[in-house]
Amino acid sequence: MSIDFSYQETWLHKINPSLKLGFVFLLFIHLIMIHNTNILINYMFGTLILYLFFTGHPWKRLMIIFLPFLLIFLTSSTSMIFFGKGDVTWFKWGLIHITEESFFRGLHLGFRGIIFAIIGVVFALTTRPVYLFYSFMQQLKLKPKYAYSFMAAIRLIPLMIEEMQTLHYALKVRGVQSGKGIRGLYNKLKSYSIPLLSQSIRKAFRIAVAMEAKRFSNSGNRTYYYQINFSKVDLVFVFYLIAVFTLSYYMAVQYPYFPITDVRL
Amino acid sequence: MSTVANVKNMRLKFPGVDSLLFKDFSLSLKKGEKVLILGPSGSGKSTLLQVLTGLIPHAVEVPMKTDEINIPDSWGYLFQDPDSQFCMPFVDEEIAFVLENLQIPKEEMNRYIHHYLHQVGLAFKNPHTKIQTLSGGMKQRLAIASVLALEPEVLFLDEPTAMLDSEGTKQVWETIKQVGEDKTVVIVEHKIEEVVDFVDRVVLLDEQGVIIADGSKDEVFASYKQVLLEHGIWYPGVWRDYLNSKPPSPSPSPVSINPSVHLSDFSVYRGKSVKLHIPQANAYPGDWVTIIGENGAGKSTLLLAMMNLLKTKGTCHFLGQDYKSIKNFADHVAFVFQNPEFQFVTNSVYEEAAYSLRLDHWTEEQISPRVNQLLKTYHLENHTHIHPYQLSIGQKRRLSVAASIIKEQSIILLDEPTFGQDAKNTFAILEQLEQLRRQGKTIIMVTHDRNIVEYFSTKVWSIHDGKLANDSSTGEYLESNNHVTGEISYVH
Repeated sequence: MSIDFSYQETWLHKINPSLKLGFVFLLFIHLIMIHNTNILINYMFGTLILYLFFTGHPWKRLMIIFLPFLLIFLTSSTSMIFFGKGDVTWFKWGLIHITEESFFRGLHLGFRGIIFAIIGVVFALTTRPVYLFYSFMQQLKLKPKYAYSFMAAIRLIPLMIEEMQTLHYALKVRGVQSGKGIRGLYNKLKSYSIPLLSQSIRKAFRIAVAMEAKRFSNSGNRTYYYQINFSKVDLVFVFYLIAVFTLSYYMAVQYPYFPITDVRL
Repeated sequence: MSTVANVKNMRLKFPGVDSLLFKDFSLSLKKGEKVLILGPSGSGKSTLLQVLTGLIPHAVEVPMKTDEINIPDSWGYLFQDPDSQFCMPFVDEEIAFVLENLQIPKEEMNRYIHHYLHQVGLAFKNPHTKIQTLSGGMKQRLAIASVLALEPEVLFLDEPTAMLDSEGTKQVWETIKQVGEDKTVVIVEHKIEEVVDFVDRVVLLDEQGVIIADGSKDEVFASYKQVLLEHGIWYPGVWRDYLNSKPPSPSPSPVSINPSVHLSDFSVYRGKSVKLHIPQANAYPGDWVTIIGENGAGKSTLLLAMMNLLKTKGTCHFLGQDYKSIKNFADHVAFVFQNPEFQFVTNSVYEEAAYSLRLDHWTEEQISPRVNQLLKTYHLENHTHIHPYQLSIGQKRRLSVAASIIKEQSIILLDEPTFGQDAKNTFAILEQLEQLRRQGKTIIMVTHDRNIVEYFSTKVWSIHDGKLANDSSTGEYLESNNHVTGEISYVH
């Protein structure tokens, strides 16, 4: 089985991966500190533009990935909307108690969840793990020992998926019924995880020995096949974020969607 | 000639094992020698290679002691499994990984990458190609290229073609013979017919890692044949000797005129595209069908499709019934997977064999004699209570066969059951299958081994480019494909 995951390279791919990760991290922290839903909605449009037009992945794939986003939105917002506290009651039925405050808090949480997801996926879709780890070694001085272990581990994932498929067939042929409920889940987990783990541990061990056989060592310097540097694209990225950031605030003040400026109040 | 590597009075013991694997073991390698190391499974052949390269104890911590050890100044090590010796996803990156380790400047890397790929006969328009998309033979040649990047004077080869089909095996050995001409080469290999004309010295180990024989290849093969036979080691002519000792008796004619397996216009789909098409194929009770074809031609796919695990269209009848409408499918058809570990579902050998019977609610009194008798037939009666994973590779294989056929199904499908087995195990499995065939069962088996096709099968289905190209008796097949039998010419 081979999964085709080809894409066009865009400017987002050319951003220095360490820098990209750093800003993604900053965005995450900043997001938690935004309490004005209007800003958040503008923010979402800013990131959505990146997701829709600049990841270089085909439309169909982007749409499929987007489906769970909606699920995140629904689950994180509804739980707050239905069960949150507030003074202005809109609707009450048994445990469900919707108030104006809880409604907006719920929306706020939902949007926040979506933005988290978009930023994370944009990063994942536009960053080759190999470049990420080369960049970690070169810009963040990560020890090659860790970087190459991760890269080797990533190589194991498609092999594991293939093995899981085989295992699935084998269990079916043997007529394994794992039963229902928690116990069934436990049995299923056991019948998959033990053979998969035993194979993976063996493979990982072999790769480790093979790496040493190729004179990979912890000591001494090494040269790099890929030199990951900073470029103009990095500036574009930073400016884009700053623009989104200021525009979001400006528009939220000038043209708010809702009259609420802080959902905590 | 000068010595490139030697070890004197080595003692080595694996943790958790009672006895020493090597006891006062000494060996030395001369420059330019081509050495073949032979021994039964578990005799420490790979361990020995790892000691001679210093991987033990530096990379793999195993307690060992030597009076004297000298490892070569520069060496390269080729491993068995093409999938677990690369740590990068692309061809160029993999070779670059070695160059980085050697601190070659970035500017020179591209030239080196092309140079080494060219040396092993791999031509890519763009070496930035996914390793995943290569065939097994190409993967191993890529592995050779990255070994060559170390500019080694000694090459250690640890069963480099164990996982490859005959085409891949040929390519890899041709490459090795070319690049290894001027080097010292130490080889561990089961499929020795490919290497025997390349080596000049043979070292023979027994189960405890003691050297039984060490000398020129003619000497060893001539005077130690009995030892080789006893230990189940592959050697040139093992098939001839086996057939001489047990001449195949004429097989009974098929007991029925109705095919037990009938396929017509049978297509296997992956997604929306047809992965494999079988215009027409039949197998009768008492038939032993071998399915042959290159890696990736669709042999395993056919077996999985016949087990109703994939999306199919067309006719597949077992014993006259449409296979999708058969109740208790598992009572009629057995399946043995290539990797036995994947089909073990219980915690002991006994339970493993009894599993299918328990699913059918047999009583303990019914199960016990049946399981015990079967385990005895498959020489597992002394291991009934240990975990299947603790068995040796040959025992695992036998258990997987035993557990699959316990319901005495009339059709048995097997995916390369002799893969990676030594000669003794291979013949044991084949004989047991032959027994079943004589009882009137239908055996359908994927294999790469031409000897099995020629000496055991009654029918050949050859698959080429996702299509059944041939469904004929073995005799007819061999006649029309005379040129390929040259590969096993040493038998005659």
